[in-house]
Amino acid sequence: MGKPRGTHYVVTASFTKTGAPIYFTPEGTWTSDLQKAALIETVAERDAQVLLASAHEAVACDVYTFMVSRENGVIDPLSAREEIRAKGPTIEMRRPDTGFSSKGV
Amino acid sequence: MYQYDDYDQALVDQRARQFKGQVERRMSGEITELEFKPLRLQNGLYMQLHAYMLRIAIPYGLLSAKQMRMQAHIARKYDRGYGHFTTRQNIQFNWPKLEDVPSILEDLASVQMQAIQTSGNCIRNTTSDPFAGVAKDELEDPRPYCELIRQWSTLHPEFAYLPRKFKIAVTGTPGEDRAAVRFHDIGVRIIENAQGERGFEILAGGGLGRTPVIAKVVREFLPYEHLLSYLECILRVYNRYGRRDNKYKARIKILVNETGIEKFREQVEEEWALIKDSALKLTREELERVARYFVPPPYEKLPSSESVLAAAALSPNRDYSRWVTNNVRGHKQPGYSIVILSLKHPKIPPGDVSDTQMDAVADLSERFGFGRIVVTHTQDLVLPDVKSSDLPHLFAELQKLDMATPNFERVTDIICCPGLDYCALANARSIPIAAQISERFEAIDYLDDIGEVSVKISGCINACGHHHIGNIGILGIDKSGEEAYQLLLGGDPGNSASIGTILGPAMDGEKVVDAVEAVLRRYLSVRESPEERFIDAYRRLGAAPFKEAVYANH
Repeated sequence: MGKPRGTHYVVTASFTKTGAPIYFTPEGTWTSDLQKAALIETVAERDAQVLLASAHEAVACDVYTFMVSRENGVIDPLSAREEIRAKGPTIEMRRPDTGFSSKGV
Repeated sequence: MYQYDDYDQALVDQRARQFKGQVERRMSGEITELEFKPLRLQNGLYMQLHAYMLRIAIPYGLLSAKQMRMQAHIARKYDRGYGHFTTRQNIQFNWPKLEDVPSILEDLASVQMQAIQTSGNCIRNTTSDPFAGVAKDELEDPRPYCELIRQWSTLHPEFAYLPRKFKIAVTGTPGEDRAAVRFHDIGVRIIENAQGERGFEILAGGGLGRTPVIAKVVREFLPYEHLLSYLECILRVYNRYGRRDNKYKARIKILVNETGIEKFREQVEEEWALIKDSALKLTREELERVARYFVPPPYEKLPSSESVLAAAALSPNRDYSRWVTNNVRGHKQPGYSIVILSLKHPKIPPGDVSDTQMDAVADLSERFGFGRIVVTHTQDLVLPDVKSSDLPHLFAELQKLDMATPNFERVTDIICCPGLDYCALANARSIPIAAQISERFEAIDYLDDIGEVSVKISGCINACGHHHIGNIGILGIDKSGEEAYQLLLGGDPGNSASIGTILGPAMDGEKVVDAVEAVLRRYLSVRESPEERFIDAYRRLGAAPFKEAVYANH
């Protein structure tokens, strides 16, 4: 069975210092935790949030949006790409991440 | 191996300093990502799914022990304890922080390495036969020509902004192509003409990606002194007429195809008539100057390797015996062997090497050779100058490092791109598929029975995992946001070059390993003899029996 249809947009970017994925929050800041991302319902709101997020260009680059579904309070990306991007490689790492992306912003 | 002169060293030192300033300006917000991106790409720094990725050039795959130790140092100090050897004979680090990259470039420059032209629409690292200089069947060592191409193409002002990236490969072994030259923008084959004169066959317009094409012969015989002027003319024609309106049609293979090889050849020859006797004409002195960097090391006079290899075949240690059979190749110097260090292990992504392994390989290259290591385009390593009498000792050391898997050119010697676990372009994961195949076929008896077969996996149509030229190719695709995989059969990168054909509908990831096993079981049941390789059986029988084996129960 495929995934459910998307219900919300999330604004994302890469952290300039490390390239790690980050997500725009309801407070207008950035988090490395997808579950703390702002959920956006409309295209107009999405476009406005992208503009706001893009103003943080020095710390966050390559801003774009993707679709998620939310079920039982859990934000679930529709694409495998965004799921892996949010959780990290699905393969065993040589050394655990001790950097930015594991600590959050 | 080649040693930088003052000019080379100054160039890479300056580039490292220059990039340090660019990074500082980016970090301070003085320049935007849009402005910074072309600058970082010119230094091999990509943005991937989880982090930056730094790609470092290893010219024609050749590393000194000192350079390998530097890779270990970078992995340890700036990354996560490992590096990834690529199908362009380069190395990538997947987790560098932006602020550390200038220091990495400085460290690289200290051992005569850099990351220039490992990205962007320019001439990339020239690749070659991993057995160059030591292969028994070699006509001439291709590395001096690779080095000349490297020097000519580095920061070449005319070719800094080509329609698309450009890749060149050179082989010095006409009888066996171990460098996949027919799948490069330019392929150079060292040959002898009917008069016994040494020169090159020049091919152009080959490539993989979304439009796989076998290169066509542009010139059947080119005297050695004209190599650079002729390459310059091919690049000029491409630079002038190559498409810039559509990146998917911008590679030279599209130009050659749309122009037609005859017309393309005319254009090149017309240009060449103007510059063939220019300063690009190679003198014998210049060729000899560069070739002196590649003179054979001081080999000992030893008896032939035959008795050692015969003893290995009869050894009660079956692991050692299999390893010698599969991972050791004949050397042009009596008493020496070429040894392939397998980087393919079920638990490790193909091509990944830890910092401790890199340090250990550097040590082994000095203990069992002359401090040289070669990266293969199949993502393994080679120690090119091992005394055959040392093979049992080297095998024991490699076992400790998990680098003695006897699988060179076997089904588990998988070429595999980073795929969706790392790559921003990928549609599907490739490393877990490689791991599943490796685990399934780990049973060595079965592996040996299958014999020579190549499996190549790409996570998207860009084909970094060379899926089109695997005997068995696997392509990851996106099906409405879900990963799916196509199976291709019949690819061959060598002298009998062929492009694989899609076997049938795409399948879910969990079905891929069963499909590969079904194909190989069918091969075992239909081959005429154990000597008939998978590719030969496929060419004799076509896709039908394999398609039936995979899809009969679907």
